[in-house]
Amino acid sequence: MKTAIVTDSTSDIPENIAEKYNISIIPAILVVNGKSYKDGEGITRKQFYEELPHLTIPPTTATPPLNAFQDVYETLLSSGYTNIISVHVAKSLSGIYNTALLAARTFNNKIHVIDSEQISLGLGFQAIIAAEQAIQGIQVNPILDKISTIQSKIRVFAMLDTVDYLRRSGRVSWAKARISSLLRIKPFIELRKGFVYNVGQVRTRRKGIIRLKSMLDKLGAIERLAVLHSNAESDALGFASDLVNTVSSHPIIVNVTTILGTHVGPNGLGFATVLA
Amino acid sequence: MSSESQNKGQVELFKHSSDHPIDGMALKKLASAGLKWLKTNQEVVNSLNVFPVPDGDTGTNMVLTMQSAFDEIADSPEENIGKMAQKLSHGALMGARGNSGVILSQILRGFARALDDNETLDIPTLVKGLIEAKETAYKGVVRPVEGTILTVAKDIAIAAEFAQFNTDDPILFLQKIVEAADQSVQKTPDLLPVLKEAGVVDSGGKGLFYLFEGMLKYIKGEPLDTSSTIIQPISALNLENTLESIEPGQDFEVVVDFSPNKKLNLEKFYSDLEQMGTSIQVGEGDGMYRMHIHVPTEKRYEPIDYTMTLGTIKQVHLENLVDQMSELQKSRNQEKIVFTPVEPGQIAVIAVSPGKGLTRVFASLGVTAIVAGGQTMNPSTKEIIAAFDNLPANKIIILPNNKNIIMAAEAAKDVTVKTVAVIPSKTVPEGLSAMLRYVPDGDFTTIVKDMNDALDDVETGEITTATRDVEIDGVQVKRGEIIALLNGKLLLSAKSLEDGCLKFLEKAKVEEFELITLFYGENIKKSEANRIVDLIRNKYPNLDIEVQEGGQPHYQFIISLE
Repeated sequence: MKTAIVTDSTSDIPENIAEKYNISIIPAILVVNGKSYKDGEGITRKQFYEELPHLTIPPTTATPPLNAFQDVYETLLSSGYTNIISVHVAKSLSGIYNTALLAARTFNNKIHVIDSEQISLGLGFQAIIAAEQAIQGIQVNPILDKISTIQSKIRVFAMLDTVDYLRRSGRVSWAKARISSLLRIKPFIELRKGFVYNVGQVRTRRKGIIRLKSMLDKLGAIERLAVLHSNAESDALGFASDLVNTVSSHPIIVNVTTILGTHVGPNGLGFATVLA
Repeated sequence: MSSESQNKGQVELFKHSSDHPIDGMALKKLASAGLKWLKTNQEVVNSLNVFPVPDGDTGTNMVLTMQSAFDEIADSPEENIGKMAQKLSHGALMGARGNSGVILSQILRGFARALDDNETLDIPTLVKGLIEAKETAYKGVVRPVEGTILTVAKDIAIAAEFAQFNTDDPILFLQKIVEAADQSVQKTPDLLPVLKEAGVVDSGGKGLFYLFEGMLKYIKGEPLDTSSTIIQPISALNLENTLESIEPGQDFEVVVDFSPNKKLNLEKFYSDLEQMGTSIQVGEGDGMYRMHIHVPTEKRYEPIDYTMTLGTIKQVHLENLVDQMSELQKSRNQEKIVFTPVEPGQIAVIAVSPGKGLTRVFASLGVTAIVAGGQTMNPSTKEIIAAFDNLPANKIIILPNNKNIIMAAEAAKDVTVKTVAVIPSKTVPEGLSAMLRYVPDGDFTTIVKDMNDALDDVETGEITTATRDVEIDGVQVKRGEIIALLNGKLLLSAKSLEDGCLKFLEKAKVEEFELITLFYGENIKKSEANRIVDLIRNKYPNLDIEVQEGGQPHYQFIISLE
């Protein structure tokens, strides 16, 4: 029995980690000015975030086609894997999970499609931990149990630079209700069980970063940490360097996927963590 | 006047107190007299402001509090003085406005408690009542400060304790108390340096004195409705139209500036004006007088013609209030501000807001309801309780956004059955800062703590026009100049608004902050606000600067520094 781990590009798993643990990543689709890009191809994240504020037509995101999943599943099964755990971005946020379910149907229960109820490293950590177990030869059911345990220990928080992108995306009801940012405000969000919650706001970046740190501190002991940013690398590095002593290993730092960035806008800063 | 003969009867009544005991009905008459005299001197109390800013109208607050107290007993036939005092105390608590109003309600509460359900009042019980009044007032304040209404309440209690051994005549007894109150008020500047520096006595203490003096004047049969002292500086006149509705006979507002040919006989001046209209106010400055009156349409020119017989008219201002009111109602109907509804189990927030623009900003941050009020109009405890009751929520946070509303909010909290937390925001920027931490679904204790912490995240600037000459905190201020306050402390005065704003930012070390938000008031135009903000942007190109309509009265700018 050999189990393969599949996820999608919204997991933000860095390439070297994906390679190390044999994680297969299916790219989501980004549409800018009518042109489709596979996430991470054709347009870099940096380029995207720099252009985002100037785009007159808001970019959109799309689910990869059914055959993108089928092709990956087929390749894996024909190369010696007996089972696949396909873990994806929260189904409340994207159609990817449903497409994966559909693609899995033709493979006789060999594929376990999981709704991570998360995004970015909130999803990524689930895939990475599953892959670490799979590589040790652990059976599929214990791995599924492990994912379920990990899901309850994941916390994702972020400070957005503005509520505008979230409101424009129309997917978050409280953001829609905000009568524009009358005052320049930077909302804090938490992604929990697939839903985006507003957990306060701040007006200056300096105070925002301090608050973000205290949010992390309040969570107590943690096992893993990723610092997430949308093109705010220096803030992310600063945030991470202040934390080094409080976490066991150096955090993963990622410029988050454009699929997420479309909805949160540039200059966001946050973290995904797995509680101890 | 018919009331005068009654007054004389009252003298008799109190002279033979053993035959005519002081009962509930007597208390009603005394309360009415105290209120009337306080009302007559309302503007005098209002003008006793430490800072030369148009805020904290202590006189108005105490009158409205006492009025609410009296309304509670006005129709009551209660003869038991203890029960009557209870009612009076309840009315005062519900109507308490401003810190002085809340303390006054505490004084009445302590008094009522000591009277228990006594049928009548004798001097030992009165002494007990005044001591208990003082005790309750002190307990109601977290950090009692001497040189305030508290000190006057204390000196009244002390005087009462001594007086009971010197006289058993109620009139003499009251006389002693009034004298002690007067002396106590006069020495408030010695106890509270800020009063001395500003050259005023404590306003709340003065108000309390007027209440007792009114009672004494009534017993002596002296008139309570005219005071030759109701002349105030022109700049202290509050002539801005704050009418909510027009009463018959208030069709036009007439304001006349004039210099009299000879010394004005104020009593005659007032009584002549009373024949023409209502809402009479008279101000004086540099030999010039300003007269304000509301008159019916057919009498709109009468005050002008009349004033011409007294001296030279410099300026006349005539305004059609009926028309203005319909304009106001039109503009009110035009724009509706939408508040975030609160769902069962969620925490609701009530903010006190002094202007429409600020209300809109608070709404955008998710407040559930607004209580109108601020610098010049402090909401009563009752209004705040009503706001609590109107919300379909059991957990409520209130942001008073003014140092003079915090106590009324606390008093409302003590009365309501709902779970309420008062976040003691002293300014609008502090309230907005706290609001940023609000999470409707959060844990109440945690959110309250978070919001309290946020008060320190911001500093507040206020730009307004000085209402009188003063030197305070080492700053020399001339009436009419622009003054700037930082966190409630006078920082500087300036000749022009732009000068005041720029100097303020410099002195507040604005370059150490990240974001400056300016809320402009209803007394300046948007274009003027933008012009000044452009000057600021040019001077501080690296700062994030935001300008918003605040709509607050009197203050050209409220500035948030963070």
